[in-house]
Amino acid sequence: MNSVGEACTELKREYDLCFNRWFAEKFLKGDSAGDPCGQLFKRYQLCVQKAIKEKDIPIEGLEFMGPSKGKTENSS
Amino acid sequence: HPWETVTTAAMRKYPNPMNPSVVGVDVLDRHVDPSGKLHSHRLLSTEWGIPSLVKSLIGTCRTRTYVQEHSVVDPVEKTMELKSCNISFTNLVSVDERLVYKPHPHEPHKTILTQEAIISVKGVSLSSYLEGLMANTISSNAKKGREALEWVIKRLNAEIEEFAASARGTMRSSMAAAAFVEK
Repeated sequence: MNSVGEACTELKREYDLCFNRWFAEKFLKGDSAGDPCGQLFKRYQLCVQKAIKEKDIPIEGLEFMGPSKGKTENSS
Repeated sequence: HPWETVTTAAMRKYPNPMNPSVVGVDVLDRHVDPSGKLHSHRLLSTEWGIPSLVKSLIGTCRTRTYVQEHSVVDPVEKTMELKSCNISFTNLVSVDERLVYKPHPHEPHKTILTQEAIISVKGVSLSSYLEGLMANTISSNAKKGREALEWVIKRLNAEIEEFAASARGTMRSSMAAAAFVEK
């Protein structure tokens, strides 16, 4: 399956492989600790954000957060 | 099929031959919330069957439509909820779909899908005709959607079988090599 940004398809494939494995083998079995795909996701995300801006796609109400685990950020 | 199988397949639904118009899927955001649920926001790019002559005149950017999808997977309660809405042509029509996958309450190897769609056509006098047309399309798409997941599940099972077969092959040849060395 391709990405919206042609240049991002390869990064997407690498991330998808990692995510699909984690999802089926860990997450669905109750083990959501650890995020083995974080780095891949970041690289893929940067590419997708750029493509979305270039193609002027109207994504609403979404901050590109990256692979956080719902940790609250405390700023002092 | 069991809920885990259906959920895994739903995450990998595209591409499939029942939805040839979906040409791109991207993850915009994904995170596990404090209660352990996985949220994914995805962008689906669709390309409808516009004649290539028209496409070459107006460019593919103008024939591409987009759908935004938010899914939540709860591995403890075993529910998967998907909500999607179009983000193209919102001035003309809005299609909001909601799908929920849960294990069958009495048959644990089956999954129940509930699906609903709200369609509204804006500012067009043929609105009730168009809404009826879209309702039929969405209901036949719902059937296609189930067929699509069956297709994905078959492919996933074939992948697993292939992997197992090659693992058995590797084990046999390393056992044969070990036996040879021992002699």
